[in-house]
Amino acid sequence: MSEKYSVIGKNVHRVDGTEKVTGTAKYTFDIVLPNMLYGKILRSPYTSAKIVSIDTSKAEKMEGVYAVVTAKDTIHKKQGIWRRFPELCDEEILCSTKVRYIGDPVAAVAAIDEYTAEEALNLIEVEYEPLPAVYSQLEAIKEDAPQVHDGVELNINVTRHIEWGDVDEAFKECDVIREDHFVCSSQAHMCMETHCAAASYSYDGKLTVWASTQASYYTQVLLAGMLGMREGDIRVIKPPVGGGFGGKFELDSAQFCAALLSKKICRPVRIVLTREEEFTATKRRTPIVYTSRIGAKKDGTILAKEIRGITDGGAYTGMGATALYLTGFFSSFPYKYPNYRYDGYRAYTNTEPTSAMRGFGAPQAVFVGEQQIDLIAKDLGIDPIEIRRINGMVPNYEVPGQAFIQSCGLHQCLDKIDNYIKGRGKLPANRGIGVAAYGFMSGGIFNWFDTPYAFSSAIVKLSIDGKVDLFTGACDIGQGSDTTLSMITAEELGVKLSDIRIHAADTAICPADLGAWGSRETLMNGNACKMAAADAKRQIIEFAAAKMGVNIVHDLDIRDGWIYLADRPERKVSYYDIVREAIRGRDGETIIGRGHYTPHRKGMISPAYSFGVQAVEVDVDPETGKMKLINVVTAHESGTVINPIGITGQLEGAIMMAGGYALCEDQPMDQGKILNPSLADYKVIRSLDMPKTEIIEVDTYEPEGPFGAKEAGEGLTNPTAGAIANAVRNAVGVTITSLPITPEKIFMAMQEKKAKEKKAK
Amino acid sequence: MIKDFEYFGPKTLNEALVLLDKYRDDYKIIAGGQSLIILLRQGLLQPENVIDIYGIKELDYIKSDGKKGLKIGALTTHREIEYSDLMKGSFKVLSEMEHLLSTPQTRNRGTIGGNISHGDPAGDPAPVLMALGANVKLASVAGERILDMEKFSVDYFETAMEHGEMLVEIELPAPPPHTGAAYTKFNIIASDMATVSVASCVTLAADDTCTDVRIALGAAAPRPMRAKAAEAILKGKKITDALLKKAGQAASEEAEPVSDISASEEYRRELVKVLTARVTKEAMSRAKAG
Amino acid sequence: MLKELKLTINGQPYELSIHPRTLLVEVLREQLGLTGTKRGCNEGACGACTVVMNGKSVKSCSVLALSANGAEITTVEGLAKGAELHPLQKAFLDYGAYQCGFCTAGMLMSCKGLLNMFPNPTSDQIRDGIDGNICRCTGYNSIIRAVEAVSRGDYKETK
Repeated sequence: MSEKYSVIGKNVHRVDGTEKVTGTAKYTFDIVLPNMLYGKILRSPYTSAKIVSIDTSKAEKMEGVYAVVTAKDTIHKKQGIWRRFPELCDEEILCSTKVRYIGDPVAAVAAIDEYTAEEALNLIEVEYEPLPAVYSQLEAIKEDAPQVHDGVELNINVTRHIEWGDVDEAFKECDVIREDHFVCSSQAHMCMETHCAAASYSYDGKLTVWASTQASYYTQVLLAGMLGMREGDIRVIKPPVGGGFGGKFELDSAQFCAALLSKKICRPVRIVLTREEEFTATKRRTPIVYTSRIGAKKDGTILAKEIRGITDGGAYTGMGATALYLTGFFSSFPYKYPNYRYDGYRAYTNTEPTSAMRGFGAPQAVFVGEQQIDLIAKDLGIDPIEIRRINGMVPNYEVPGQAFIQSCGLHQCLDKIDNYIKGRGKLPANRGIGVAAYGFMSGGIFNWFDTPYAFSSAIVKLSIDGKVDLFTGACDIGQGSDTTLSMITAEELGVKLSDIRIHAADTAICPADLGAWGSRETLMNGNACKMAAADAKRQIIEFAAAKMGVNIVHDLDIRDGWIYLADRPERKVSYYDIVREAIRGRDGETIIGRGHYTPHRKGMISPAYSFGVQAVEVDVDPETGKMKLINVVTAHESGTVINPIGITGQLEGAIMMAGGYALCEDQPMDQGKILNPSLADYKVIRSLDMPKTEIIEVDTYEPEGPFGAKEAGEGLTNPTAGAIANAVRNAVGVTITSLPITPEKIFMAMQEKKAKEKKAK
Repeated sequence: MIKDFEYFGPKTLNEALVLLDKYRDDYKIIAGGQSLIILLRQGLLQPENVIDIYGIKELDYIKSDGKKGLKIGALTTHREIEYSDLMKGSFKVLSEMEHLLSTPQTRNRGTIGGNISHGDPAGDPAPVLMALGANVKLASVAGERILDMEKFSVDYFETAMEHGEMLVEIELPAPPPHTGAAYTKFNIIASDMATVSVASCVTLAADDTCTDVRIALGAAAPRPMRAKAAEAILKGKKITDALLKKAGQAASEEAEPVSDISASEEYRRELVKVLTARVTKEAMSRAKAG
Repeated sequence: MLKELKLTINGQPYELSIHPRTLLVEVLREQLGLTGTKRGCNEGACGACTVVMNGKSVKSCSVLALSANGAEITTVEGLAKGAELHPLQKAFLDYGAYQCGFCTAGMLMSCKGLLNMFPNPTSDQIRDGIDGNICRCTGYNSIIRAVEAVSRGDYKETK
């Protein structure tokens, strides 16, 4: 027992591993139920139009069609995930009077097979009266812009203001001030499994939904609201999910339409969105335009930052309101700005709604902030690492009025990256290294969803042979929470990982959890699991202490299946034997441990923050502007590492996704129509494009996290676009202020630079 | 969703030609299907009859024609060309081109004949075949005809094939001594279609004078095209960097690119300029080495 | 009009009647219930539907089922031998070469096709070999490490 931990920090096979590598894992996409029908959704071809009439009679008469639903089959509610703010619940899902973007659902069909359902859609006659529309946030906030939602002035959906210190006074004291403009584009989540759901409504009024979701609890509650049912009559089961990345925790059209159709005819209905629907009619990363002003003293101390962000909200609110807030908060990261002001505006437009996506407003903020800090460092003649050292956050730092940061390894990360860059020496021509520093939250504290439950809960139940059933609402969407939480439970209880069987995200048998978003599961649900395991452990130890007849002064603990005296480990009994006896001794009562966690009084944002610094080396072709990612080195700290293979996977996957955001992923539109709604035209990084990756783990311990752990999921998506932009500047001397950083943009900027230099001569 | 159709799976060329003749009003030929199935699913094509020629073994071959030229059967897969021992000397460019084409699964299944018959101006094989001076053999129940590759591609997704005709063979003439060929394509994601591609084949005399040069552009016009103005600048001269630059400029001017989501017209012209010079220089150095 | 189709899948011969429009992936998933093979895009771009057909990796969404008449097909369900996982599967587990797992079947079958061509592929060959498969979770490098380990002979296939 020399090592500190027996389970956590070890390389393990994921608990869902063998079913995934053998193809036996059943996703929602794979579910076939007896008597099941297949659903398809009819969507608006207009960006903005009044629905004059919908005639479904021909479709209903078609052979093989069993149900057609439109808004008239609903209870005429509008849904939204910001339930505390009814005005932000603005989405009918099935539109009654007005469609607001290309892809807005108007009807759904259930038929004997997908072919029939699709043919039936062609028989539904919808008469539209096209209305004027608006396609960008800057157009939307003009006086005479068409209103996306009636009565919402200037199309302003949400505003956010964050301020501390005296920004105006501070700017007066600055030696250098600069103002820059940046444009951050959209991005598709591009989950491998498209949104899908299978719903089965029984004759006795109970609904079961299998959903590809990141938050089965939200799905349950939101469905109840939209269907006029009681939450307890709805069971949402989350099978393995083929990726989420922020795109799957709001109620979606597949879930709602499948449930509504099933409820109408008491037959199971499955709806799988096509890849094209996935690109055009789900949600997407929030595009933002920024104006940012930053001021510093000659010695590199930054005194003030003032930033304005206007986000393109698309047609509905969803989680976009949170992205608006978080981009403002993370624009202050990871630095100790003494004076700071953010003004954020979210404007409705007649485009696909924008919402949460991995990083949740932070990758955009970091793209802006990390370029600007490099630029002001250049103005000041200070090394980019040095300026980050001067201003970087430190442990126990309080972001005034906003957040309290306990563990923080930013400075160690800066040192590691500094060493790496120095070790690279002088680079060849047209090569450059760019750096970006970042921080991210371990789950949000806010409760706009208005849940009365603890944010995370877990139950541990012991079998007679000591095996453990762990019940939790946490949602493994591929990120590996089932494994991480099983490891935490096994460590706390002192058993082997293989002793744990996890049952997660089935709302009928698991306690509620807010789901997989905001990088919250490890810390929040990890704390709940640890507490539940500790509760069970206490019950066993009580019995063991009596059984072993130990002196009251001794502490007992469990590790590796042995119950032992903490200071005399050679005195031990088998955990497995004791459980059997303890249950007998309790009149056969099952041993159950309970745990829950809600972050109380931990600041406004999050109970803990992770930090890191990334260096990206790029090579730019000086004649074409083509940029190649050579190497990505990340110094990162996430508190105690629970699952090292998991963290490596999160990091490398984040680089694929954030590198794609920087290089090639975009959703260009023409008059509100997305021009590349297919994987042939939407480019993602593939294996040949993927750079080398190195991870340097920096050791920290987070007092608020289970065994000292904190987030390691979304934060890693934050630095890459900014680091790449800085690397391009380092390589060829041009600043690209808009995403994605295409070869054409680099080429044009180089041409412009050459022309300027010529003129100067 | 694919609309249903009648399916025919001829096993010989003759059977296929008879079917083409019989259903000449409404059929679609499918070979590897790597492009066609997407069009079927998008509903862009809804043929009554689909004639699947993939099973015609007699059209799957690569052979030397005895004069050091090559004959490639239309149903030879990209993969077979990529790894064929016959891709030597200036034909090596064919295997290099195939290696850049799409993804392994597509190369395993897709055929060179299917690719050029699809008529996508951004396809990889056509510019290379044009630079190598290839001819294509078309067959119908009426007989065969041979067409210069240049004349085969007509417009976006349109070829010179008549109803009732199918592509059966690609013929590559034996290159003269001191010939070198090279291909390059510009894209952002490695497996992607070309934003612009350029193939070049250069023949040098003993004193390094360029006696022949063929430059072909992909994704730079509604069809793969020869850059003849660029060629004229180089032909008969000793190629220098300055001349290559001029040739690039000429190619960029004679190209007919369009703007789309991948690149603007202006940027495509810049790419043609740079890549023409680069790839011709590479072809030249291969010609010298060969 | 339905057409007859014969094929051998994971060593088991099948005779089926299908609509000519039916794709190979639809036969596997919908008619035979072999749902290990996924469908991510329906347009030959993502590789999730990759199977090995007559020894080579192909995208089963881009093959008409009738065109596969007489073929020998291996899907992810046919990789393991009884209770013994295939070396690729063992390596994927050890190296954490999957997360959400939705691309994994296709990824494994691309790797199987690669090993059929090159029993000991180089890193570059592996990178090229999986370029037709999108993975949105792992960033590919763990998959490459896993296949490198197989290539090195760290995992012996039981005969």
